[in-house]
Amino acid sequence: MHSLQFSVPLLPTSRFKRHSVRCASDRQQLFNRIAPVYDNLNDLLSLGQHRIWKRMAVSWSGAKTGDSLLDLCCGSGDLTFLMSEKAGADGKVIGLDFSKEQLSIASSRRYLLSKACYNNIEWVEGDALDLPFSNGYFDAITMGYGLRNVIDKRRAMQEMFRVLKPGSRVSILDFNKSMQPFTALFQEWMIDNVVVPTATVYGLAKEYQYLKTSIDEFLTGKELEKLALDAGFSYARHYEISGGLMGDLVAAR
Amino acid sequence: MVRLSKWLLKEAGTVVDKTLSDILVCPLSKQALRVCEEPPSLISDSIGVSFPIKDGIPCLVPTDGKILDTDDTMKHDNAADDSANNK
Repeated sequence: MHSLQFSVPLLPTSRFKRHSVRCASDRQQLFNRIAPVYDNLNDLLSLGQHRIWKRMAVSWSGAKTGDSLLDLCCGSGDLTFLMSEKAGADGKVIGLDFSKEQLSIASSRRYLLSKACYNNIEWVEGDALDLPFSNGYFDAITMGYGLRNVIDKRRAMQEMFRVLKPGSRVSILDFNKSMQPFTALFQEWMIDNVVVPTATVYGLAKEYQYLKTSIDEFLTGKELEKLALDAGFSYARHYEISGGLMGDLVAAR
Repeated sequence: MVRLSKWLLKEAGTVVDKTLSDILVCPLSKQALRVCEEPPSLISDSIGVSFPIKDGIPCLVPTDGKILDTDDTMKHDNAADDSANNK
């Protein structure tokens, strides 16, 4: 992690020009651009807490030794590595992402971390809306900070349902679109006054501005539960964590 | 000798692990893929598209696919016929 010599500027609510990140290829390019600093920024902005949230997400997925596991929108691989530890030498984990740059970093991290169990990981460049796996293959799926970024959330849920074994679970971690006014206001304040100024230091103001729009356009916990049930899942529950700033949707096929 | 060259190719990041090539299917047709070693790629015969493998990572985003010329598919059919005749 970089040790930065900067003081967070206490800006009045910034009026950056809103950058529309509408189509899939825009989002793909965005994630390619932030790839080099993604991990450092996550640590900085969440004060390291994202590691706890990710462990919770893996736990809720029900992943266990010997399983065939999928980590969707794996990015630089945080959740994939946790899933790999669960699966062990007899299991298999696929880390799938549509950003080549993020996958490159994930692949390099695997060699740097060099834990023997990480040999059970395979990286695949793919699209969450058209998964390159046959029906009913996986024992558990995780998706961290991915569902909010896919163009067609319904289709993504349907694909997850399709590739899951009956009785298995998906655990989808993301920002929570809170119905509590105080939480929503605090989240917005954090993005305007902490996240974007910090990202600006890395030259990524526009990219992190996208975060606010994407949370605005995301679904609430109840809406996510309905999305999962509509896709065919027999059970769906959204858990709020970290004071309602984050949430994890757990759905069982 | 064959095993050594396969290991070297894997280290060079062009060969996809066999279990992975068994797991993967065409993202569009969901049918099986065929491994091609040169150029390193996965072929979906069901829709006549080839997906590249770069640095050992299969690229299976639908827009990564390249439509195969009929020549490419015919070459594969001829090669399959030849090997069947030679047996």
